[in-house]
Amino acid sequence: MAPELLLDSNIRLWVVLPIVFITFLVGVIRHYVSILLQSDKKLTLEQVSDSQVLIRSRILRENGKYIPKQSFLMRKFYFNNQEDGFFKKTKRKVVPPSPMTDPSMLTDMMKGNVTNVLPMILIGGWINWTFSGFVTTKVPFPLTLRFKPMLQQGIELLSLDASWVSSASWYFLNVFGLRSMYSLILGQDNGADQSRIMQEQMSGAAMAMPADTNKAFKAEWEALELTDHQWALESVEDDLMGRELDFDGMFSKELPSGIF
Amino acid sequence: MASVSELYDVGWEEMRDKLRKWREDNSRNSEQIVDVGEELISDHASKLGDDVWIIYEQVMIAALDCSRDDLALTCLQELRKQFPDSHRVKRLTGMRLEALERYDEANKHYDAILEDDPTNTAARKRKISILKAQGKNGEAIRELNEYLEQFVGDQEAWHELSELYINEHDYGKAAFCLEELMMTNPHNHLYCEQYAEVKYTQGGLENLELSRKYFSQALRLNNRNMRALFGLYMSASHIAASPKVSAKVKKDNIKYAAWAANQINRAYKVSICKQHSDILKTTSFT
Repeated sequence: MAPELLLDSNIRLWVVLPIVFITFLVGVIRHYVSILLQSDKKLTLEQVSDSQVLIRSRILRENGKYIPKQSFLMRKFYFNNQEDGFFKKTKRKVVPPSPMTDPSMLTDMMKGNVTNVLPMILIGGWINWTFSGFVTTKVPFPLTLRFKPMLQQGIELLSLDASWVSSASWYFLNVFGLRSMYSLILGQDNGADQSRIMQEQMSGAAMAMPADTNKAFKAEWEALELTDHQWALESVEDDLMGRELDFDGMFSKELPSGIF
Repeated sequence: MASVSELYDVGWEEMRDKLRKWREDNSRNSEQIVDVGEELISDHASKLGDDVWIIYEQVMIAALDCSRDDLALTCLQELRKQFPDSHRVKRLTGMRLEALERYDEANKHYDAILEDDPTNTAARKRKISILKAQGKNGEAIRELNEYLEQFVGDQEAWHELSELYINEHDYGKAAFCLEELMMTNPHNHLYCEQYAEVKYTQGGLENLELSRKYFSQALRLNNRNMRALFGLYMSASHIAASPKVSAKVKKDNIKYAAWAANQINRAYKVSICKQHSDILKTTSFT
C-alpha cells in the first residue's frame, strides 16, 4: 500500500538506541531517588494492635474447628457479644487524611509528583526538542489519521502514513515498555514503575486507609456471627485406628556425630 | 586445642552455612555456635561481607548462654561501632546486662527503647524475661498478659505464657494459651500433644476425653509421636477405669487402650528386631 520508507541507519544508531538508554537510566535513577526520599512510616501501637486482632479473629473463623467447642464459643462471645464484645465496643477515632491537613501526606504526594511526573514531562519535552524533524520508527500496526498530530509532532507531511512516528512517541513507548525490564533488574515493587504508580494514584484517591478499621471490625463481626463450629476431632480415634501406625525410620541407628 | 575447621575438615563457607541453618531453625545449641562462630569471626571476618553483623549477633547471644562474657563484649562492641543508634543493638546491650545480673540497668535500657518506639516488642519481652529471671512469676504473668492484650498475634509470647501458667499449676489458663497456638498452627502435632497433656493433668472426665481426642489428633498428624501414643493409652485406660462411665464408653475406651498398647508393642518390636539384626551383622565379622 503505502510506499515503504527506508530510514537512514544513523537514525537507529543515534536516535533509537540513545532514547532507550536514556529512558532506562532515568528509570533506575528514579528508583534510587525514591528510596532515598522515602519517609519512615511510623505505625502507632493502636494500628499494630488492631491489625493483629483482625488476624486473630480471622484465624478463629478459619481454624476454630481445631479447638474444643466450648473454647470456640468463649472466644466468639468475647468478640461478638451484644453489649461488650470487642467488635461491638471498640470504636476507633477515624480521621480521614485529607492532603491539606495532614502534613506528612502532603509531602509524600509532592515527593511522588516530583520523582515521577516531573522527569517524564521534562525529558519528554527535551527529547521532542532535540530529536525533532524526522521519522524515528514505524509501529507494526496500522493507525488512523487521527493519530497523526499526536504521534508525528514536528513532521509536517500530510501524506505520511500514521504508522511512522516521531521520537517523542518512541520515548513514551519506552517508558511503558521498560516496565518489565525494571522488574527484572530492580526486583518487584520498584520506584521506577510509573504506570503502576499512576494506577495507584487513581485507586488511592478512592480508598482512605484509617477509615478501614471501623469497617473492618464490622465486616469481621458479621463474618464471625455466621461461623459455626464443626469440630474436626469428632471421629479422630476411629480415623486413626483405621490403619496401623507408620513407624518407618523412627529409631534410627545413626546418631548425629558432632557439628558437621 | 584444635580448631573446628581442623577437627571436621571444613572450610569457612560450610561453617557460615551451618550458622545460617542454625539461625533459620532457631536451634539453641549455644556451645556449638560459640565454637564455630568464634573461629569464623576471628579468622574469616573479612570474607563474610555483610553477613558478619548477623553472625556477631548470633554468636553474642550464644556466648551469653555459655557465660563467655569476653566474646560477648567483643561482638557487642563491633556491633555498636557499626550501628550506633540501633534499637536492636540496644536490646543486645540490655541482654548482656541481664546476663551479668545487673537487672536495674538493663531495665533502664529497655525503657529508653520503649520511650523512643512504643511498638517495639523485643524490649517489652526482655523486660518480662527479667521478671521471670528474678523469680517474680506472678508479675511476669501479669505483664505478659498486658503485652498479649496489645499484641495478640505473638505466638512466642503465648507459648511462654502457657509455660508460666503450667509452673503456677493454673492449667485452665495454660490450656487457653495452647488453644491459641493450636489455632494458628493446626498442623503442629507438638502443640496438640502439649494441650492434651495439660487437659490430662487437669483431670475430670470431660478433660480426660478431650485429652484422649487431642492425643489421637497429635498421632494423626505425626504417627511417630511416642509420647502421644502413651498418652492415648493412659487417658483411654483412665476413662475406662473410672466408675462413672456408661458401659458403651467403657467398652470403646478399652478398645482404644488395647489398640494403643498394640501399637506400642509393635513400635518397640520393630526397633528391637532391627537392633538384633544389626548386632548380628556386625558380630559375624569377628
